[in-house]
Amino acid sequence: MSVLLQVAGLEVTYGPVRAVKGVDLELPKGEIRAILGANGAGKSSIIRAIMGLVKPRGGTITFANTTIHRLPPHAVNRLGIAWVPEGRQIFSTLTVQENLLMGAFGGRQAEERPVRQEQIMEMFPILKTRREQFAGSLSGGEQQMLAIGRALMSSPELLLMDEPSLGLAPKVVQYLFALIREIRARGISILMAEQNARQALRVADYAYLLEVGEIRGGGPASEMEASEQVRRVYLGG
Amino acid sequence: MEQFVQQLVNGLMIGSTYAVVALGFGLMFSVMRVVNLAHPEVFMVGAYVAFVVVTGLNVHGQGLGMLAAVGLFVVVLGVAMVATGVVGLILERLVIRPTRGTYILTPFIATSGVSIVLQNGAQRIFGPDPVRIPSVIPAHTFAISGVLVTSMQLTTVLTAVVIMLALRYYVHHTRWGRATRAVAEKPDVAAACGVNVNLVSQLTVGIASVMAGAAGVALGLLYNSAAPFMGLLFGLKSFICMLVAGNRHIEAIMAVGLLLGLVEAIVTGYISSNLRDAVAFALLLAVLFFRPQGLFGSYDV
Repeated sequence: MSVLLQVAGLEVTYGPVRAVKGVDLELPKGEIRAILGANGAGKSSIIRAIMGLVKPRGGTITFANTTIHRLPPHAVNRLGIAWVPEGRQIFSTLTVQENLLMGAFGGRQAEERPVRQEQIMEMFPILKTRREQFAGSLSGGEQQMLAIGRALMSSPELLLMDEPSLGLAPKVVQYLFALIREIRARGISILMAEQNARQALRVADYAYLLEVGEIRGGGPASEMEASEQVRRVYLGG
Repeated sequence: MEQFVQQLVNGLMIGSTYAVVALGFGLMFSVMRVVNLAHPEVFMVGAYVAFVVVTGLNVHGQGLGMLAAVGLFVVVLGVAMVATGVVGLILERLVIRPTRGTYILTPFIATSGVSIVLQNGAQRIFGPDPVRIPSVIPAHTFAISGVLVTSMQLTTVLTAVVIMLALRYYVHHTRWGRATRAVAEKPDVAAACGVNVNLVSQLTVGIASVMAGAAGVALGLLYNSAAPFMGLLFGLKSFICMLVAGNRHIEAIMAVGLLLGLVEAIVTGYISSNLRDAVAFALLLAVLFFRPQGLFGSYDV
Protein backbone atom coordinates (compact mmCIF):
# COMPACT_ATOMS: atom_id res chain seq x y z
CA MET A 1 0.00 0.00 0.00
CA SER A 2 1.63 3.27 -1.04
CA VAL A 3 1.89 6.13 1.39
CA LEU A 4 -0.26 9.06 0.31
CA LEU A 5 0.57 11.52 3.06
CA GLN A 6 3.73 11.71 5.11
CA VAL A 7 4.27 14.04 8.03
CA ALA A 8 7.71 14.09 9.60
CA GLY A 9 8.95 16.05 12.61
CA LEU A 10 6.09 18.55 12.42
CA GLU A 11 6.49 21.57 14.67
CA VAL A 12 3.70 24.11 14.93
CA THR A 13 4.02 27.10 17.20
CA TYR A 14 1.74 30.02 17.88
CA GLY A 15 4.08 32.63 19.29
CA PRO A 16 5.65 31.12 22.38
CA VAL A 17 3.22 28.20 22.49
CA ARG A 18 4.38 24.90 20.99
CA ALA A 19 1.17 23.27 19.85
CA VAL A 20 2.72 20.45 17.86
CA LYS A 21 6.08 19.00 18.86
CA GLY A 22 7.89 16.72 16.46
CA VAL A 23 4.90 14.76 15.15
CA ASP A 24 5.42 11.90 12.69
CA LEU A 25 2.49 10.27 10.99
CA GLU A 26 1.55 8.77 7.68
CA LEU A 27 -1.53 7.85 5.76
CA PRO A 28 -1.40 5.00 3.26
CA LYS A 29 -3.63 5.30 0.25
CA GLY A 30 -7.12 3.99 0.82
CA GLU A 31 -7.00 4.03 4.61
CA ILE A 32 -8.89 5.91 7.27
CA ARG A 33 -6.61 7.04 10.07
CA ALA A 34 -7.66 8.89 13.16
CA ILE A 35 -5.77 11.29 15.42
CA LEU A 36 -7.29 10.90 18.85
CA GLY A 37 -6.77 13.41 21.59
CA ALA A 38 -8.41 15.72 24.06
CA ASN A 39 -9.27 19.36 23.49
CA GLY A 40 -6.12 21.37 22.96
CA ALA A 41 -3.94 18.38 22.22
CA GLY A 42 -2.94 19.84 18.88
CA LYS A 43 -5.12 17.82 16.50
CA SER A 44 -6.50 20.85 14.66
CA SER A 45 -3.03 22.33 14.34
CA ILE A 46 -1.81 19.23 12.54
CA ILE A 47 -4.78 19.32 10.17
CA ARG A 48 -4.35 23.03 9.52
CA ALA A 49 -0.65 22.61 8.87
CA ILE A 50 -1.34 19.92 6.28
CA MET A 51 -3.89 22.18 4.62
CA GLY A 52 -1.40 25.05 4.49
CA LEU A 53 -3.43 27.32 6.73
CA VAL A 54 -0.62 27.58 9.21
CA LYS A 55 3.06 27.53 8.38
CA PRO A 56 4.96 24.92 10.39
CA ARG A 57 7.97 26.03 12.37
CA GLY A 58 9.70 22.81 11.40
CA GLY A 59 9.28 19.42 9.83
CA THR A 60 8.05 18.30 6.44
CA ILE A 61 4.73 17.34 4.92
CA THR A 62 4.67 15.33 1.71
CA PHE A 63 1.62 14.41 -0.32
CA ALA A 64 1.83 12.08 -3.30
CA ASN A 65 5.56 12.79 -3.60
CA THR A 66 5.09 16.55 -3.51
CA THR A 67 6.34 18.69 -0.65
CA ILE A 68 3.35 20.70 0.49
CA HIS A 69 4.23 22.35 3.79
CA ARG A 70 5.26 25.60 2.10
CA LEU A 71 2.26 25.83 -0.18
CA PRO A 72 -0.72 28.15 0.33
CA PRO A 73 -4.07 26.46 1.02
CA HIS A 74 -5.46 26.95 -2.47
CA ALA A 75 -2.47 25.15 -3.96
CA VAL A 76 -2.82 22.30 -1.48
CA ASN A 77 -6.48 21.99 -2.44
CA ARG A 78 -5.63 21.87 -6.11
CA LEU A 79 -3.27 18.97 -5.50
CA GLY A 80 -6.14 16.90 -4.19
CA ILE A 81 -6.64 17.57 -0.49
CA ALA A 82 -9.97 18.80 0.82
CA TRP A 83 -10.83 20.09 4.28
CA VAL A 84 -13.90 19.60 6.42
CA PRO A 85 -13.23 22.19 9.13
CA GLU A 86 -14.02 21.92 12.80
CA GLY A 87 -17.47 23.31 13.49
CA ARG A 88 -18.75 22.90 9.95
CA GLN A 89 -17.82 26.42 8.77
CA ILE A 90 -20.18 26.49 5.84
CA PHE A 91 -20.68 29.82 4.07
CA SER A 92 -23.88 30.92 5.72
CA THR A 93 -24.52 33.83 3.35
CA LEU A 94 -24.27 31.57 0.31
CA THR A 95 -26.95 29.10 -0.73
CA VAL A 96 -26.48 25.35 -0.39
CA GLN A 97 -25.86 25.12 -4.11
CA GLU A 98 -23.31 27.95 -3.97
CA ASN A 99 -21.51 26.27 -1.09
CA LEU A 100 -21.12 23.14 -3.18
CA LEU A 101 -19.91 25.17 -6.14
CA MET A 102 -17.30 26.79 -3.90
CA GLY A 103 -15.99 23.34 -3.08
CA ALA A 104 -15.27 22.84 -6.76
CA PHE A 105 -13.59 26.23 -7.19
CA GLY A 106 -10.13 24.69 -7.46
CA GLY A 107 -11.11 23.30 -10.82
CA ARG A 108 -10.03 19.72 -10.38
CA GLN A 109 -11.66 17.54 -13.03
CA ALA A 110 -13.85 20.45 -14.00
CA GLU A 111 -15.62 18.59 -16.81
CA GLU A 112 -17.05 16.11 -14.37
CA ARG A 113 -18.31 18.74 -11.97
CA PRO A 114 -22.02 18.59 -12.82
CA VAL A 115 -22.01 14.80 -12.51
CA ARG A 116 -20.19 14.99 -9.20
CA GLN A 117 -22.65 17.54 -7.92
CA GLU A 118 -25.56 15.23 -8.77
CA GLN A 119 -23.81 12.34 -7.04
CA ILE A 120 -23.33 14.39 -3.92
CA MET A 121 -26.96 15.48 -3.98
CA GLU A 122 -27.89 11.78 -4.18
CA MET A 123 -25.61 11.06 -1.23
CA PHE A 124 -27.22 13.84 0.76
CA PRO A 125 -30.86 14.08 -0.31
CA ILE A 126 -31.47 16.83 2.22
CA LEU A 127 -29.13 19.09 0.27
CA LYS A 128 -31.14 18.53 -2.86
CA THR A 129 -34.33 19.80 -1.29
CA ARG A 130 -32.59 22.78 0.28
CA ARG A 131 -30.52 23.69 -2.76
CA GLU A 132 -31.56 27.35 -2.97
CA GLN A 133 -31.71 28.02 0.74
CA PHE A 134 -29.12 30.01 2.56
CA ALA A 135 -26.77 27.59 4.23
CA GLY A 136 -27.04 29.50 7.49
CA SER A 137 -30.60 28.25 7.90
CA LEU A 138 -29.61 24.56 7.99
CA SER A 139 -29.45 22.51 11.17
CA GLY A 140 -26.12 21.37 12.63
CA GLY A 141 -26.33 17.93 11.10
CA GLU A 142 -27.36 19.31 7.73
CA GLN A 143 -24.49 21.77 7.81
CA GLN A 144 -22.08 18.94 8.48
CA MET A 145 -23.45 17.09 5.46
CA LEU A 146 -23.00 20.25 3.41
CA ALA A 147 -19.45 20.74 4.66
CA ILE A 148 -18.59 17.19 3.66
CA GLY A 149 -20.37 17.52 0.34
CA ARG A 150 -18.51 20.73 -0.35
CA ALA A 151 -15.19 19.04 0.35
CA LEU A 152 -16.08 16.14 -1.92
CA MET A 153 -16.86 18.53 -4.78
CA SER A 154 -13.16 18.98 -5.45
CA SER A 155 -12.77 15.26 -6.18
CA PRO A 156 -10.09 14.94 -3.52
CA GLU A 157 -7.73 12.05 -2.98
CA LEU A 158 -7.39 12.93 0.67
CA LEU A 159 -10.10 14.22 2.96
CA LEU A 160 -9.06 16.02 6.14
CA MET A 161 -11.82 15.94 8.74
CA ASP A 162 -11.51 18.01 11.88
CA GLU A 163 -13.78 16.74 14.68
CA PRO A 164 -16.65 15.78 12.37
CA SER A 165 -18.88 14.53 15.19
CA LEU A 166 -18.53 17.57 17.44
CA GLY A 167 -21.84 19.04 18.50
CA LEU A 168 -23.97 16.52 16.65
CA ALA A 169 -26.78 14.37 18.02
CA PRO A 170 -25.90 10.67 18.50
CA LYS A 171 -28.16 9.52 15.71
CA VAL A 172 -26.55 11.96 13.30
CA VAL A 173 -23.11 10.79 14.44
CA GLN A 174 -24.05 7.22 13.51
CA TYR A 175 -25.14 8.35 10.08
CA LEU A 176 -22.00 10.42 9.74
CA PHE A 177 -19.61 7.57 10.42
CA ALA A 178 -21.48 5.29 8.05
CA LEU A 179 -21.01 8.02 5.50
CA ILE A 180 -17.30 8.14 6.21
CA ARG A 181 -17.07 4.45 5.42
CA GLU A 182 -18.90 5.05 2.18
CA ILE A 183 -16.50 7.83 1.23
CA ARG A 184 -13.55 5.51 1.77
CA ALA A 185 -15.30 2.91 -0.35
CA ARG A 186 -15.17 5.41 -3.21
CA GLY A 187 -11.40 5.46 -3.01
CA ILE A 188 -10.84 8.56 -0.91
CA SER A 189 -8.32 8.35 1.91
CA ILE A 190 -9.30 10.04 5.16
CA LEU A 191 -7.35 11.57 8.01
CA MET A 192 -9.58 12.63 10.86
CA ALA A 193 -9.03 14.36 14.13
CA GLU A 194 -11.55 13.18 16.69
CA GLN A 195 -12.38 13.47 20.37
CA ASN A 196 -15.00 10.76 20.06
CA ALA A 197 -12.58 7.85 20.25
CA ARG A 198 -15.24 5.17 20.42
CA GLN A 199 -16.84 6.04 17.10
CA ALA A 200 -13.55 6.89 15.46
CA LEU A 201 -12.01 3.52 16.32
CA ARG A 202 -15.01 1.74 14.84
CA VAL A 203 -14.44 3.26 11.45
CA ALA A 204 -10.70 3.90 11.31
CA ASP A 205 -8.06 1.41 10.22
CA TYR A 206 -5.38 2.97 12.41
CA ALA A 207 -5.24 5.56 15.15
CA TYR A 208 -2.64 7.89 16.65
CA LEU A 209 -2.83 9.13 20.23
CA LEU A 210 -1.95 12.79 20.58
CA GLU A 211 -1.28 14.35 23.95
CA VAL A 212 -0.05 17.91 24.47
CA GLY A 213 1.35 18.12 20.96
CA GLU A 214 3.16 14.78 20.95
CA ILE A 215 2.28 11.38 19.54
CA ARG A 216 2.15 9.09 22.56
CA GLY A 217 1.12 5.93 20.80
CA GLY A 218 -0.53 4.47 17.77
CA GLY A 219 -1.60 1.27 16.12
CA PRO A 220 -4.30 -0.57 14.24
CA ALA A 221 -7.75 0.38 15.48
CA SER A 222 -8.56 -3.07 16.84
CA GLU A 223 -5.39 -3.04 18.94
CA MET A 224 -6.17 0.44 20.21
CA GLU A 225 -9.67 -0.56 21.20
CA ALA A 226 -8.30 -3.49 23.12
CA SER A 227 -5.47 -1.58 24.77
CA GLU A 228 -5.79 -1.01 28.48
CA GLN A 229 -4.30 2.48 28.33
CA VAL A 230 -6.63 3.60 25.59
CA ARG A 231 -9.67 2.20 27.31
CA ARG A 232 -8.84 4.05 30.46
CA VAL A 233 -7.94 7.43 28.99
CA TYR A 234 -10.12 7.67 25.91
CA LEU A 235 -12.95 5.24 26.22
CA GLY A 236 -13.87 5.75 29.85
CA GLY A 237 -12.74 2.35 31.12
CA MET B 1 -45.05 69.20 -5.00
CA GLU B 2 -43.15 69.74 -8.17
CA GLN B 3 -40.33 71.27 -6.26
CA PHE B 4 -40.29 68.26 -3.96
CA VAL B 5 -40.00 65.84 -6.85
CA GLN B 6 -37.31 68.05 -8.33
CA GLN B 7 -35.35 67.82 -5.11
CA LEU B 8 -35.87 64.07 -5.07
CA VAL B 9 -34.43 63.75 -8.53
CA ASN B 10 -31.44 65.95 -7.69
CA GLY B 11 -30.95 63.93 -4.54
CA LEU B 12 -31.06 60.58 -6.30
CA MET B 13 -28.48 61.79 -8.72
CA ILE B 14 -25.89 62.79 -6.16
CA GLY B 15 -26.93 59.85 -3.99
CA SER B 16 -26.11 57.42 -6.75
CA THR B 17 -22.53 58.69 -6.80
CA TYR B 18 -22.25 58.43 -3.01
CA ALA B 19 -23.49 54.86 -3.42
CA VAL B 20 -20.84 53.98 -5.99
CA VAL B 21 -17.96 55.20 -3.83
CA ALA B 22 -19.51 53.72 -0.69
CA LEU B 23 -19.78 50.36 -2.44
CA GLY B 24 -16.05 50.46 -3.07
CA PHE B 25 -15.37 51.07 0.61
CA GLY B 26 -17.79 48.32 1.52
CA LEU B 27 -16.24 45.80 -0.84
CA MET B 28 -12.77 46.36 0.49
CA PHE B 29 -13.87 46.27 4.07
CA SER B 30 -15.95 43.13 3.85
CA VAL B 31 -13.51 41.18 1.70
CA MET B 32 -10.27 42.27 3.29
CA ARG B 33 -11.27 43.88 6.60
CA VAL B 34 -9.36 46.91 5.35
CA VAL B 35 -10.38 50.55 5.51
CA ASN B 36 -8.76 52.06 2.43
CA LEU B 37 -8.37 55.73 3.18
CA ALA B 38 -6.86 56.38 -0.22
CA HIS B 39 -10.16 55.44 -1.89
CA PRO B 40 -11.54 59.01 -1.98
CA GLU B 41 -8.30 60.12 -3.63
CA VAL B 42 -8.76 57.49 -6.32
CA PHE B 43 -12.10 59.20 -6.93
CA MET B 44 -10.20 62.49 -7.23
CA VAL B 45 -7.71 60.92 -9.65
CA GLY B 46 -10.65 59.90 -11.82
CA ALA B 47 -11.79 63.50 -12.04
CA TYR B 48 -8.30 64.72 -12.91
CA VAL B 49 -7.89 62.08 -15.59
CA ALA B 50 -11.12 63.39 -17.09
CA PHE B 51 -9.63 66.88 -16.96
CA VAL B 52 -6.44 65.76 -18.69
CA VAL B 53 -8.22 63.79 -21.39
CA VAL B 54 -10.86 66.38 -22.16
CA THR B 55 -8.46 69.33 -22.26
CA GLY B 56 -5.89 67.22 -24.04
CA LEU B 57 -8.28 66.23 -26.77
CA ASN B 58 -9.38 69.82 -27.02
CA VAL B 59 -12.94 68.99 -27.89
CA HIS B 60 -15.83 70.94 -26.63
CA GLY B 61 -19.11 69.33 -25.80
CA GLN B 62 -21.18 72.13 -27.23
CA GLY B 63 -19.94 71.52 -30.72
CA LEU B 64 -20.63 67.79 -30.78
CA GLY B 65 -23.69 65.86 -31.73
CA MET B 66 -25.24 63.79 -28.94
CA LEU B 67 -23.85 60.50 -30.21
CA ALA B 68 -20.31 61.80 -30.54
CA ALA B 69 -20.58 63.39 -27.12
CA VAL B 70 -21.65 60.14 -25.54
CA GLY B 71 -18.82 58.43 -27.35
CA LEU B 72 -16.38 60.95 -25.96
CA PHE B 73 -17.81 60.47 -22.49
CA VAL B 74 -17.32 56.73 -22.78
CA VAL B 75 -13.73 57.24 -23.89
CA VAL B 76 -12.99 59.57 -20.99
CA LEU B 77 -14.65 57.12 -18.62
CA GLY B 78 -12.70 54.24 -20.06
CA VAL B 79 -9.33 55.95 -19.75
CA ALA B 80 -10.09 57.07 -16.20
CA MET B 81 -11.26 53.61 -15.20
CA VAL B 82 -8.12 52.01 -16.56
CA ALA B 83 -5.94 54.60 -14.81
CA THR B 84 -7.69 54.28 -11.48
CA GLY B 85 -7.79 50.51 -11.82
CA VAL B 86 -4.02 50.49 -12.17
CA VAL B 87 -3.67 52.84 -9.20
CA GLY B 88 -5.83 50.45 -7.20
CA LEU B 89 -3.81 47.39 -8.16
CA ILE B 90 -0.54 49.12 -7.26
CA LEU B 91 -2.08 50.28 -3.99
CA GLU B 92 -3.16 46.75 -3.14
CA ARG B 93 0.16 45.15 -3.96
CA LEU B 94 2.48 47.71 -2.41
CA VAL B 95 0.52 49.18 0.46
CA ILE B 96 -2.46 47.07 1.46
CA ARG B 97 -1.16 43.53 1.11
CA PRO B 98 1.98 44.04 3.21
CA THR B 99 0.03 45.82 5.94
CA ARG B 100 -3.01 43.59 6.01
CA GLY B 101 -3.16 41.28 8.96
CA THR B 102 -4.41 41.14 12.46
CA TYR B 103 -4.21 44.82 13.35
CA ILE B 104 -6.90 46.79 11.60
CA LEU B 105 -5.22 50.17 12.02
CA THR B 106 -2.08 49.41 10.03
CA PRO B 107 -3.57 49.54 6.52
CA PHE B 108 -5.72 52.42 7.73
CA ILE B 109 -2.61 54.46 8.51
CA ALA B 110 -0.70 53.27 5.47
CA THR B 111 -3.48 54.17 3.05
CA SER B 112 -4.01 57.52 4.72
CA GLY B 113 -0.36 58.18 3.95
CA VAL B 114 -1.04 57.35 0.32
CA SER B 115 -4.02 59.69 0.27
CA ILE B 116 -1.82 62.55 1.50
CA VAL B 117 0.70 61.76 -1.22
CA LEU B 118 -2.03 61.77 -3.87
CA GLN B 119 -3.55 65.00 -2.63
CA ASN B 120 -0.22 66.77 -2.58
CA GLY B 121 0.72 65.25 -5.89
CA ALA B 122 -2.41 66.66 -7.46
CA GLN B 123 -1.71 70.02 -5.85
CA ARG B 124 1.79 70.14 -7.21
CA ILE B 125 0.88 69.01 -10.70
CA PHE B 126 -2.35 70.91 -11.20
CA GLY B 127 -2.17 73.67 -8.62
CA PRO B 128 -4.16 74.07 -5.41
CA ASP B 129 -7.14 75.71 -7.07
CA PRO B 130 -9.90 73.78 -8.80
CA VAL B 131 -9.34 73.28 -12.49
CA ARG B 132 -12.10 73.71 -14.99
CA ILE B 133 -13.19 70.71 -16.97
CA PRO B 134 -15.04 71.62 -20.15
CA SER B 135 -18.36 69.91 -20.64
CA VAL B 136 -18.45 66.78 -22.69
CA ILE B 137 -22.17 66.21 -22.89
CA PRO B 138 -23.86 69.20 -24.56
CA ALA B 139 -25.99 71.08 -22.11
CA HIS B 140 -29.59 70.16 -22.63
CA THR B 141 -32.34 70.33 -20.17
CA PHE B 142 -35.10 67.79 -20.37
CA ALA B 143 -38.43 68.37 -18.78
CA ILE B 144 -39.96 65.10 -17.64
CA SER B 145 -43.43 65.76 -16.24
CA GLY B 146 -42.45 69.08 -14.82
CA VAL B 147 -39.12 68.00 -13.45
CA LEU B 148 -35.98 69.47 -14.96
CA VAL B 149 -33.03 67.22 -15.59
CA THR B 150 -29.89 68.19 -17.42
CA SER B 151 -28.23 65.80 -19.83
CA MET B 152 -25.13 65.56 -17.63
CA GLN B 153 -27.26 64.75 -14.59
CA LEU B 154 -28.90 61.99 -16.59
CA THR B 155 -25.52 60.72 -17.72
CA THR B 156 -24.30 60.65 -14.13
CA VAL B 157 -27.25 58.63 -12.91
CA LEU B 158 -27.09 56.24 -15.83
CA THR B 159 -23.38 55.66 -15.28
CA ALA B 160 -23.91 55.01 -11.59
CA VAL B 161 -26.83 52.67 -12.21
CA VAL B 162 -24.95 50.68 -14.83
CA ILE B 163 -21.99 50.33 -12.47
CA MET B 164 -24.17 49.20 -9.60
CA LEU B 165 -26.02 46.68 -11.73
CA ALA B 166 -22.75 45.34 -13.09
CA LEU B 167 -21.37 44.98 -9.59
CA ARG B 168 -24.46 43.22 -8.38
CA TYR B 169 -24.30 40.84 -11.31
CA TYR B 170 -20.65 40.15 -10.65
CA VAL B 171 -21.16 39.47 -6.96
CA HIS B 172 -24.22 37.25 -7.28
CA HIS B 173 -23.89 35.54 -10.64
CA THR B 174 -20.25 34.92 -11.39
CA ARG B 175 -17.72 32.42 -10.14
CA TRP B 176 -15.32 35.08 -8.89
CA GLY B 177 -18.13 37.06 -7.33
CA ARG B 178 -19.13 33.96 -5.41
CA ALA B 179 -15.52 33.46 -4.35
CA THR B 180 -15.46 37.11 -3.24
CA ARG B 181 -18.49 36.56 -1.02
CA ALA B 182 -16.93 33.41 0.38
CA VAL B 183 -13.67 35.20 1.19
CA ALA B 184 -15.64 38.01 2.83
CA GLU B 185 -17.26 35.52 5.14
CA LYS B 186 -14.56 32.95 5.84
CA PRO B 187 -11.23 33.52 4.11
CA ASP B 188 -9.54 30.39 5.48
CA VAL B 189 -12.31 28.10 4.32
CA ALA B 190 -12.43 29.83 0.94
CA ALA B 191 -8.68 29.35 0.57
CA ALA B 192 -9.06 25.66 1.36
CA CYS B 193 -11.68 25.45 -1.40
CA GLY B 194 -9.04 26.51 -3.91
CA VAL B 195 -9.54 30.27 -3.87
CA ASN B 196 -6.40 32.38 -4.20
CA VAL B 197 -7.28 34.93 -1.56
CA ASN B 198 -4.54 37.35 -2.61
CA LEU B 199 -5.94 37.37 -6.13
CA VAL B 200 -9.44 38.04 -4.86
CA SER B 201 -8.11 40.92 -2.77
CA GLN B 202 -6.39 42.43 -5.78
CA LEU B 203 -9.53 42.03 -7.85
CA THR B 204 -11.59 43.63 -5.14
CA VAL B 205 -9.40 46.70 -4.77
CA GLY B 206 -9.20 46.95 -8.56
CA ILE B 207 -12.98 46.88 -8.90
CA ALA B 208 -13.51 49.36 -6.08
CA SER B 209 -10.94 51.72 -7.59
CA VAL B 210 -12.43 51.51 -11.06
CA MET B 211 -15.82 52.37 -9.58
CA ALA B 212 -14.40 55.33 -7.67
CA GLY B 213 -12.68 56.53 -10.81
CA ALA B 214 -15.93 56.43 -12.74
CA ALA B 215 -17.70 58.36 -10.00
CA GLY B 216 -14.90 60.93 -10.12
CA VAL B 217 -15.34 61.38 -13.87
CA ALA B 218 -19.09 61.75 -13.53
CA LEU B 219 -18.88 64.32 -10.77
CA GLY B 220 -15.99 66.13 -12.38
CA LEU B 221 -17.96 66.57 -15.57
CA LEU B 222 -21.15 67.36 -13.71
CA TYR B 223 -19.63 70.25 -11.81
CA ASN B 224 -17.05 71.01 -14.49
CA SER B 225 -14.23 70.99 -11.99
CA ALA B 226 -11.61 68.91 -10.26
CA ALA B 227 -9.75 69.90 -7.12
CA PRO B 228 -7.02 68.21 -5.10
CA PHE B 229 -9.15 67.88 -1.99
CA MET B 230 -12.44 67.02 -3.62
CA GLY B 231 -12.23 63.52 -2.27
CA LEU B 232 -12.22 64.54 1.36
CA LEU B 233 -15.79 65.50 2.08
CA PHE B 234 -17.29 63.24 -0.53
CA GLY B 235 -15.22 60.31 0.68
CA LEU B 236 -16.10 60.89 4.29
CA LYS B 237 -19.81 60.89 3.53
CA SER B 238 -19.53 57.78 1.39
CA PHE B 239 -17.55 56.05 4.10
CA ILE B 240 -20.18 56.81 6.68
CA CYS B 241 -22.81 55.54 4.25
CA MET B 242 -20.99 52.25 4.25
CA LEU B 243 -20.91 52.16 8.04
CA VAL B 244 -24.57 53.01 8.30
CA ALA B 245 -25.57 50.36 5.78
CA GLY B 246 -23.60 47.54 7.34
CA ASN B 247 -21.53 45.22 5.19
CA ARG B 248 -23.88 42.31 4.78
CA HIS B 249 -25.71 43.33 1.63
CA ILE B 250 -24.44 45.52 -1.16
CA GLU B 251 -28.02 46.57 -1.87
CA ALA B 252 -28.04 48.16 1.59
CA ILE B 253 -25.07 50.34 0.74
CA MET B 254 -26.76 51.40 -2.50
CA ALA B 255 -29.91 52.29 -0.60
CA VAL B 256 -28.14 54.32 2.07
CA GLY B 257 -26.13 56.23 -0.53
CA LEU B 258 -29.31 57.17 -2.36
CA LEU B 259 -31.00 58.04 0.90
CA LEU B 260 -28.19 60.37 1.87
CA GLY B 261 -28.47 62.11 -1.47
CA LEU B 262 -32.19 62.53 -0.94
CA VAL B 263 -31.76 63.89 2.56
CA GLU B 264 -29.18 66.38 1.39
CA ALA B 265 -31.36 67.55 -1.47
CA ILE B 266 -34.34 68.04 0.77
CA VAL B 267 -32.33 69.93 3.37
CA THR B 268 -30.78 72.11 0.67
CA GLY B 269 -34.12 72.76 -0.96
CA TYR B 270 -36.28 73.28 2.07
CA ILE B 271 -34.06 74.37 4.90
CA SER B 272 -30.74 75.80 3.95
CA SER B 273 -27.84 74.70 1.81
CA ASN B 274 -25.48 75.67 4.63
CA LEU B 275 -27.03 73.12 6.89
CA ARG B 276 -26.83 70.37 4.31
CA ASP B 277 -23.65 68.74 5.51
CA ALA B 278 -24.40 69.25 9.18
CA VAL B 279 -27.78 67.56 8.93
CA ALA B 280 -26.36 64.74 6.84
CA PHE B 281 -23.62 63.97 9.32
CA ALA B 282 -25.93 64.34 12.29
CA LEU B 283 -28.34 61.79 10.85
CA LEU B 284 -25.62 59.36 9.94
CA LEU B 285 -24.04 59.61 13.35
CA ALA B 286 -27.42 59.17 15.00
CA VAL B 287 -27.99 55.92 13.14
CA LEU B 288 -24.55 54.66 14.10
CA PHE B 289 -25.15 55.61 17.71
CA PHE B 290 -28.33 53.61 17.97
CA ARG B 291 -27.38 50.77 15.68
CA PRO B 292 -23.63 50.38 15.43
CA GLN B 293 -23.87 47.28 13.30
CA GLY B 294 -25.49 49.37 10.61
CA LEU B 295 -29.09 49.55 9.45
CA PHE B 296 -28.95 46.22 7.73
CA GLY B 297 -26.50 44.28 9.82
CA SER B 298 -22.92 43.24 9.26
CA TYR B 299 -20.57 40.31 9.81
CA ASP B 300 -18.64 42.03 12.53
CA VAL B 301 -18.23 45.58 13.72
